[in-house]
Amino acid sequence: MNRLDRSAEEAQMASAEPVRSSSEDLGAPLYIAWQVTNECNLACLHCIEESGPGKAFRDEFDTQQVFGFLQQVMDLDVPYLSFSGGEPMVHPQFFEMVEFVCARDGQLKIETNGHYLNPENCRRLNELGVKAVQVSLDGASRETFNRMRIRGDYDIAIEGVRNLRKADVPIEINYSPTRFNVHEIGAAVDLAYELGAYSFYTGRTMYTGNAVKTWHLLAPSEEQYVEYFRVLHEKVEEYRGRLRVHFHEMGLLDELRYRLQHPAALLIVLPNGLVKLINALPFVCGDLRRQTLSEIWKNFQNAWKDPRIAEFVDELATNPQKTSALHKWVYL
Amino acid sequence: MKLAKYVKFREEKFGGVLFETRSEKVFTLNPTAAAVVRAIEQGAGEGDIVDRLTEDFHNPDGAVAGEAAAFIAQLKEQGLVVE
Repeated sequence: MNRLDRSAEEAQMASAEPVRSSSEDLGAPLYIAWQVTNECNLACLHCIEESGPGKAFRDEFDTQQVFGFLQQVMDLDVPYLSFSGGEPMVHPQFFEMVEFVCARDGQLKIETNGHYLNPENCRRLNELGVKAVQVSLDGASRETFNRMRIRGDYDIAIEGVRNLRKADVPIEINYSPTRFNVHEIGAAVDLAYELGAYSFYTGRTMYTGNAVKTWHLLAPSEEQYVEYFRVLHEKVEEYRGRLRVHFHEMGLLDELRYRLQHPAALLIVLPNGLVKLINALPFVCGDLRRQTLSEIWKNFQNAWKDPRIAEFVDELATNPQKTSALHKWVYL
Repeated sequence: MKLAKYVKFREEKFGGVLFETRSEKVFTLNPTAAAVVRAIEQGAGEGDIVDRLTEDFHNPDGAVAGEAAAFIAQLKEQGLVVE
């Protein structure tokens, strides 16, 4: 995956007497994005996590830690949880984890590269009741998709999405732009609709992870981005009411400045239980092997006020390459 | 009347939150609104909810009842509650 954190936001006030609140007022996170493993069957050019075959962390959660963590998520009534990776479907206990969450009425999204979405797995996902499966389709053609997704196969991913539809599993599509696929964005939205997706997500590709080494191949020009977002604005209107086309137009710096003032009620959980503030920052605010989720949530509230975060964001303004080392974690 | 399939409710000190997980929108609720949603979760009908809130909030002049009815209409309009 490679995108800005797309987090739950307080979008509207539904109450008859609106109440002002922020993440500080909440008793628990609203959204937990869990990277269940760093192992992946693919080795994508842009992968923010540098996932790939043999790339599982040595200290990833064991079985007891996996289900202990999930139980805490359920106990705190966190309304929304996602499994990503790496590729979450290669985790040996993937379906047990899905069952654990869905059986407790959790709303679960799976973020996958789509290569394990055979008919049987899709049927199980439907029966277990996942909220949605988000598939990364970074191209509307075999040529661009396969160029980006090393070891990946466009036809398998497309077939996987079709299997989801046949199994009646809600579908979301994620698209990471590069200089060699930006021209396909219109066709990609059309394809997502044709495949039966209800949502389409994109943003700007981040300079981190594998993208640091492949930036010269990946980075769209600003002119390309202008055209990219122009097409997306058109697609929003074209598909209004039929497909939700959602994108982050602002760059990383603007996004982080916004987050400094408005932290989302979102925790990023790494495969080894470390908890990050946001994907695009190196800061760690907790360790689930040593702390409870509740304790970490309390730390999270204060962590965003740590001056090192504002300093990092300020420095990013003059040195965009600071995101190249997001895996050198900074413990708050 | 019930919460829509992809809507989750959680109580908070200030009232509550409704999370519509398909659009990833969060709605914050004041205590009155949270009481309405709690009653919907418990399976109460619209008339029961209005009666219950009038009693719970000691508000015989009908202000809470009107507020609750308007809020329920708002929830339905936004697809957060379905019949």
